[in-house]
This record gives sequence, C-alpha cells and structure tokens, in this order.
Amino acid sequence: MAERSPSQTIGPFFHEAMRWARGGDVTFAEPGEKVVLAGRIVDGAGAPVADAMVETWQLAPDGGEPGMATGSMRPHGFGRVETDADGRFRIATSLPGGAVPHIDVAIFARGLLKPLRTRAYLAPIERVRDDPALATIAASPRLATLVARPGAGREWAWEVRLQGEGETVFFA
Amino acid sequence: MNDMARPSDPDPPYLYSDYGSTRLRAPLQPMVALPALAQAGAGPQIPEGFVRGGDNDLTRAGKATPLGEMMVLTGRILDVDGRPVRRSLVEIWQANASGRYDHPGDTHDAPLDPNFHGIGRTLTDEEGRYRFLTIRPGAYPWKNHAFAWRPQHIHFSLLGNAPVQRLITQMYFPGDPLLALDPVYLSIPDARARETLLCRLAPRTGIEGVALGYEFDIVLAGASATPLGI
Repeated sequence: MAERSPSQTIGPFFHEAMRWARGGDVTFAEPGEKVVLAGRIVDGAGAPVADAMVETWQLAPDGGEPGMATGSMRPHGFGRVETDADGRFRIATSLPGGAVPHIDVAIFARGLLKPLRTRAYLAPIERVRDDPALATIAASPRLATLVARPGAGREWAWEVRLQGEGETVFFA
Repeated sequence: MNDMARPSDPDPPYLYSDYGSTRLRAPLQPMVALPALAQAGAGPQIPEGFVRGGDNDLTRAGKATPLGEMMVLTGRILDVDGRPVRRSLVEIWQANASGRYDHPGDTHDAPLDPNFHGIGRTLTDEEGRYRFLTIRPGAYPWKNHAFAWRPQHIHFSLLGNAPVQRLITQMYFPGDPLLALDPVYLSIPDARARETLLCRLAPRTGIEGVALGYEFDIVLAGASATPLGI
C-alpha cells in the first residue's frame, strides 16, 4: 500500500489554468428548478478572499448521482469558479434532489495548504437540522453557517467565514 | 471506516505560521466529521472531447519553441491500494523558465515568454498514465519573508475518480537547495511524505537530443471509500 501524496496550496496563479468556459453554469441531463448560489468568502479579519477557487458538487434534480455529459461539455453536476475582488462567487445550477437539498463546496486558495470542505444547504434550518449527516452538530449554533438564505430570483445568499467569529463549519 | 487500513494523513495543517498567508485563512475550530456515506459516489465524470489532443504539450503555445530546458514529464496516478486512476483529469500550471507566470497577478520583474503560457491538461489512460511536454520552470522570489524564493515547481490538480480523491499539489525537483528553505514544502510534517513530491530524473523517458525525461507518480486516496467506486 502506497502512501497518499500530500496536498499543497493552489497558490495565487491558478486562474488561467483552472478556468473552465462557463464553469459556474452547472449542467444536468434532466431539467430542474433553476437556482443560484451567491457566495462570499471572507478571512479571519473579515477581508474578502479575492483569490479562491470554489468547486461544487451535488445530486441531480432527480436525486441521483449526475451522469456522464456528452460532447465537450463540462461534467454534469460540477461547478468551478473563482472569487472576485470582493470575495464573491456565483454558481448557477438546479435545485439538488435528495432529502435536504445541499451543495458540497470545496475551497482552494493561497494560504490554504489543503482544501476546505463545507456545504451550502438550500433549505430552512429546521430541515437542515434533520439531515442525519449533520447529527454531531445538529444542536450547535454553528449549524446556521451551513444554511443559505433564499432571496429574490431564486438566489440563495451564503457567506463563508474562514476563521474567527462565526467561523463556517468545515468538514474533515 | 477503513481507518485501520488507511495510512496516516500526510497533509500539512491548515495553520502553518511560517507560511504567512495561512494565518488569517486557517480555520481555528475543529473539523466536523461527515459520515463516509455522505461523501460516497463516483464524482464528476469528464466527458469525451473535454480534453483535446495537444492540450498536454505546453511547448506549442506560440510560433516558436519556448525558452528553457525542455522536459517530458510522465507518471502514473494510483490510489493507495495501487490501483490505476483511469480516465481522470490532470491539470498543470507553472512559471516559465525565467520564473514568471503568465498571470496578471505576477509582478516579478522577469521576462514573459510569448511562446509559453504554462498551462496544460490531459486525461490519464487505462493504466493511470499521463504525459506532458513542457519546460523546466524557474524559481522566483515571493514576499512571504525576507529573501524568500519558491523552489522550482509545477502545480498539479487531480480530479480523481471520486470526490475523496480530489487533490491539488505541487511537484518539485530533486536536489533543489531552495526546498530546505521553503515553508510551503516544509509545511508537510513528515519528511518522507515531502519527498513523494519530488520528481525523478529518467533520461530514457525523454526525447533524444530534445527533452530531458522526468517521472512523477501521484497517489490519491482509496476509491474503496466509495461504494460505487467505478
């Protein structure tokens, strides 16, 4: 058995290499309810994280694992975007299927020697609390950091705090 | 699950003060464990046609050959059980021979090379093999601490065949004296684990009279953590 290769930071110079055409428009084989995850990432001083890469993965609208896309399309169910100068990013996708709709999020950035993994739930906190995957933090006030807020135009707002007061829950 | 069979975690910590950028970006609360089932699944599938022939040749970006020492970089992507990671996306990026990235954020006053952008991608084959044609990147100064220079390196992004296999890392060159001074490299706690990020000279994998050969294998987490593991 070989030892796994260690992680290193993505650094500040990944943009051209990792940028996919329409990487923030997540596709699926089947139609679904269109939603937008409008995120913002801030550091321990509250400053925007302007040089992060965000990847998302989720269930298809029908609740299944996204299948293989055809042609030269991007992979179904997968989003990849970079944050802007204000730390903001946008993922245009379909409402994930499954019991409690959520989007798995991985954050890569300068200063992150390995990715941060978290989740944005597109559901009221009462339902999020019932997700068995979150049993260990269901009673914690930190649970709220995983819950996006619905707004106009089917847009869900979600702030990620890497460190300090209101620090987002990250998964091992 | 599988903790008995899993080798110890080789990753750096989030907070590593010698690398200054970690100080305000490292979470301070403990990580929360997700049940393994919540992370299961085959993950994103790269469609046919997403990678085009030639995307793995970084030396064809311009009209002429780029400056620097041309190198063939080959290797295998395996999981911890030694199984090849097949048909999996490998993306790389790097500085040019002068130690300058073709990136608006790179303010190092070293020349850009119109014939080199330092970006490549490929899919592994049925045995987990990949191949790039590129040039050896230069070292470059950065502002982490006084007189800081990054050792020569190539950034690697591996999508793997399951979300648990996702890895971004950096490949280094054996014998680089800057490694002993580099906080990014030194952030990996175990010296043996660090050395797995060194490529090795393999002249016969090169192109006679044209390019030196280097080999670099990467080991990803076990897909056994994924019941669907295809």
